[in-house]
Amino acid sequence: MPTITIDNQTFEFEGQQGLLQFCLDNGVDLPHFCYHPAMSAPANCRQCLVEVGMPQRDRATGEVNTDDEGNPVIQFMPKLQTSCSMQMSDGMVVKTHRSSELVKRAQKDTLEFLLINHPLDCPICDQAGHCPLQNQAYKHGPEGSRFEFEKVHKPKHIDLGPRVVLDGERCINCTRCVRFTREVSNSDQLTIIERGVKNYPMTPPGVDFDEPYSMNVIDICPVGALTSKEHRFKARIWEMSKTASISTVGAKGSNCYYWVKDNQIMKVTPRTNMDVNEFWLADEERLAYSTFNENRPEGPTVEGAPVSWEMAWKAAADCLKGVEGSRILFLGSAWATVEDNYLLAKMADALGAPAPVYLPHVEKGHGDGWLQTDDRAPNAQGCERLGIHATSPEAIKARLEAGEVDVLYVMEDDPVASGVCSASDMSGIKVVLHHYNTTNQTLEAADVAIPAATAVETVGTFVNVDGHAQRLRPAKAIAGVNRTLSMEIGKCRADRHGTPFDKWYNESNLVNCQPGWVALPAVAAEIGLEMNYKGPKQIMEEVSSSNPAFSGATYSAMGELGVRLESTGVTA
Amino acid sequence: MSKAGDWRNYKRVLLPPVKDLHKLDVYEANDGYSALREILTTDKWNPTSVTDEVKKSGLKGRGGAGFPTGLKWSFMPPVDPDVPRYLCCNGDESEPGTFKDRQLLEYNPHSVFEGMLIASYAMSIKTGFLYIRGEFADWITHMEAELEKAYEKGYVGKNIMGSDFSCDIVIHKGAGAYICGEESSLMNSLEGKRAYPRIKPPFPAQKGVWGYPTTINNVETPACAPLIIRNGGDWYAGIGAEAHPGPVLYGISGHVNRPGVYEYPTGMLITDLVNEVAGGMRGGKKLKAIVPGGSSTPVLRADMIDGVTMDADSLREAGSMMGTSGMLIMDEDTDMVSFLRRITHFYHHESCGQCTPCREGTGWLENILTRIDEGEGNLRDLDLLMDLCSQMEGRTVCALADAAAWPVRYTIDRFRDEFEAKCKPSLVASGVDLATA
Amino acid sequence: MADFIKNPVVGLPDRKPEPVIPADQLHFSEAEKTQIQTWISQYPSADGAVMRALWLAQEKFGFLPPEVIQLVADELGIPYTNAYGVATFYTQYFKEKKGTYVLDVCTCFSCQLCGGFDMLHYLEEKLGVHKGETTDDGVFTVQEAECLGACGSAPMLQITNGAYVHNLTKEKIDALVDALREDKMPAFTSVTLPQDEDEMGGNRRTDVESTETYQAGPVSETTR
Repeated sequence: MPTITIDNQTFEFEGQQGLLQFCLDNGVDLPHFCYHPAMSAPANCRQCLVEVGMPQRDRATGEVNTDDEGNPVIQFMPKLQTSCSMQMSDGMVVKTHRSSELVKRAQKDTLEFLLINHPLDCPICDQAGHCPLQNQAYKHGPEGSRFEFEKVHKPKHIDLGPRVVLDGERCINCTRCVRFTREVSNSDQLTIIERGVKNYPMTPPGVDFDEPYSMNVIDICPVGALTSKEHRFKARIWEMSKTASISTVGAKGSNCYYWVKDNQIMKVTPRTNMDVNEFWLADEERLAYSTFNENRPEGPTVEGAPVSWEMAWKAAADCLKGVEGSRILFLGSAWATVEDNYLLAKMADALGAPAPVYLPHVEKGHGDGWLQTDDRAPNAQGCERLGIHATSPEAIKARLEAGEVDVLYVMEDDPVASGVCSASDMSGIKVVLHHYNTTNQTLEAADVAIPAATAVETVGTFVNVDGHAQRLRPAKAIAGVNRTLSMEIGKCRADRHGTPFDKWYNESNLVNCQPGWVALPAVAAEIGLEMNYKGPKQIMEEVSSSNPAFSGATYSAMGELGVRLESTGVTA
Repeated sequence: MSKAGDWRNYKRVLLPPVKDLHKLDVYEANDGYSALREILTTDKWNPTSVTDEVKKSGLKGRGGAGFPTGLKWSFMPPVDPDVPRYLCCNGDESEPGTFKDRQLLEYNPHSVFEGMLIASYAMSIKTGFLYIRGEFADWITHMEAELEKAYEKGYVGKNIMGSDFSCDIVIHKGAGAYICGEESSLMNSLEGKRAYPRIKPPFPAQKGVWGYPTTINNVETPACAPLIIRNGGDWYAGIGAEAHPGPVLYGISGHVNRPGVYEYPTGMLITDLVNEVAGGMRGGKKLKAIVPGGSSTPVLRADMIDGVTMDADSLREAGSMMGTSGMLIMDEDTDMVSFLRRITHFYHHESCGQCTPCREGTGWLENILTRIDEGEGNLRDLDLLMDLCSQMEGRTVCALADAAAWPVRYTIDRFRDEFEAKCKPSLVASGVDLATA
Repeated sequence: MADFIKNPVVGLPDRKPEPVIPADQLHFSEAEKTQIQTWISQYPSADGAVMRALWLAQEKFGFLPPEVIQLVADELGIPYTNAYGVATFYTQYFKEKKGTYVLDVCTCFSCQLCGGFDMLHYLEEKLGVHKGETTDDGVFTVQEAECLGACGSAPMLQITNGAYVHNLTKEKIDALVDALREDKMPAFTSVTLPQDEDEMGGNRRTDVESTETYQAGPVSETTR
């Protein structure tokens, strides 16, 4: 197998590989700004320079020349090479800043150049704290500046489009954003304009940078030149915790991080998963964050009046008790997790009711073959695999109108909004509703309303449109649950490095709600049904071992990147 | 010693003294297109033998880098009928001090066309792009008219002279960007992109315009090809300096009595060119310095040019380069600080802005030199300039950063007194490292 | 307009500009379309023809406001964004309206040493504008140009991306400005090679009426 030596350490490698990526993959922290694994490498930032040598070969024989000790003689290229554009080859010898003074010097020099026209406004920059340029400057940059002239002034706080703001002075012209629109999203909305030191990225006049993936340029911008209009100045990176989870806006299940401050989701950023969303996230997936913060219920209600959780469980159970199973309609949900839908199906089965059905949330034409899907709900596949099949508002309406239903048990959905019927049309039946938001239109008809933990507050599993089973992790705490005991919540830097006196964490904005895997067993217990699980992990173990459509989908196997399930031939 | 032999009796070949040579009929009457005809109609020639003949001639590229032309032609990969290949002829002449190509394009355009066709034949190319800088609008119009006549006569286009060799020539008009003279940026410009230089490898012969195998030559280079074919590689190799042979268009400008483009062999003594050819220094002034080959080549002081000849080896030894053979002559009154400031302004203005060291460094250089030129600089600025040069040289995709750094490095190095005289004394002596002091 | 080095400010192009070319004039003629198609056919992809098409558009409309760049992009079938990026890269494409005659005075390298700045300043004073500015009557724009490749006939200037005027003197500038005010463009000037003067008695072209020999330029009085 071909080998390469990097700072006196020899690695084996296979196939065609770029040197920079290989270094990064193998723990050699080469600084870089313009390189991005998903795009072409223009080698323009010049930060990833290294020394590269090849074994010297005899011109006549083609044999590798060796020194007195039999080691190959290495001939280094006269100039430093950009590792991002360098393809690896057998016998290559590389010296990075860890072993070469020359490389160290070059990196420092480039950094000095990058900083002369940079405004150095880190204290008011959203990128501060997770800025590659800032990190490099701290690690390797010059302490003062030798540049004693007026910096170049460029346009600042310009709305490139509805969601992305440009600060031209911070830009280091890495062209990642331009390449993104040219090579990844193909929107061709951005270009570098002008020339030389006047360069900066811009849309042509009359064009808004409004493509559905525009906010990705904010993530890939290695400085604070492109920031989120929505998130600007809202929170510093170190004030937020970040939790690895998945997006719930569509059926793609794009991997993401939820960023939380004071129990509010502040922003959503992509998390790399080459099997699902690669490096990207659609704008709609980021902008949905406010639904987790706003219009949240404040505890359960019965007939519109606030009650204790115990009263709520009992009231829900009372609705179900003594009703013939066939006259109960259990509505599962493509918004709810596999675990919660599974428990619902179990409850239906125990009560002799027909298997739950769910209302699909499909918007034809919304899908783009990339991260946006026609299906606007995250778990239709999971429902189908559980045997919970799609129904239509019309079919439900027909059953209600025919008087076949005495109790409608709704799991985290909103049949009124789906057009089943109006809330007043439900006055003749008992309605139990697990809901996320007070904007739920079925709420008006609910006899018992149980606030449900949303995807950012619960533990569970979604199966995406391609059959990829992935875990949800709680990004923010809910009322009544000790945050530190709920082990899955991500921690912020202050959690890890601060002291208890820092008061980075507070109890504000705790929503008084419960996840389905708490609520359903509680209701079941009041009816007298056995539904004892230690938690969602155990539920999923039961699902994956008993249902072949979920074979292998245990929490440990799904980990952070999920598991691709066998195709069942069933499509949502 | 001069390597140009009996240059006083030199008979010009690139721009021979023929009235109206730019007209097709006159060109034809003076052996025009005969080299192409010979190649296409006699068995003596095939692509390999043409390339070999050019190799034998020792012709080196006239664009500045001086790479052996025949060798460059042989870098093209084997012909694959499904893969197009291109010739690019670089007439983006914009290196300050260089003005020879414009004269060649005006006075002998068909030699460029014929040379491009010969080069295309040698490399089995079917399309040649002739990139001319946009400022030469009048010359482009002129060339296009001549090219059309050559098409009408069947010298360019399909089945040239009845052979099975077909080749088109496309004239591409630039629009004002020095960087387009850099070959890889010229390719991006041709492709209709912003003219950023490309990283090498891949080299143009592997992946050139539109990703296809491409060879790029300066316009003066292929113009030599018809001469080499007509008279033989040996004849050409016998002209001028042995290691860097051939006729050269010297562009002499600045403080001389007769500035202009002169055709002479390589290996001319600089002193002969200044004192005899260009008529000596204007107003009887003393020579102070010369820049031998365009603004990026290191300046030579008057006391450095004794016995130095215009060829790669001699100039390297003297501490400079042949470049484009665009020579700037400066007299004793020249203010080297202002001069350097203006050159630096040029590179600052023309940096494409792609690579960090060049985009930022060129402006910084101009800032410092402006300050010195205005009497506000201090001695430590000179150290800083040298430092910045080291930080730019060899650190970018193309050589523009080097081209910007070299004049600074060498002009200060060779005229340090003048720079120091304009500087305020520094509190800290020059050359002291503040970090360790 | 101060030098960029003294006042390093990069402006923002108007992002929602009102079109300046009336809609009924914003199109290419059939002949122009044919010409553009010919150019496209000469390149492996239509992108290659963008520079030629921008030139044609600039000659037609006088400059390249956004709607014209869009028109070019549409005619070529390439992204408008790319065409705009290209148009802003090159200095000869005018992104804003200039004077009828744009006088590009070279001050670079040889021209600096032979009086380029003298000529520039003379012209600035004469027309009452600074470099980069247009006279109030809209006739002249004076610009400082980088090397235009006519170093042997320094100092020199170029008129609106076209004719070169060589071996400038103040008198020559006076005459030129007067002529241009009457819309008389100077004829193409061929510059005779010194060797042709010796061997051929001067002009080597019979089809060009006026020709000029290289002259020893004046000594520059100013170099900045």
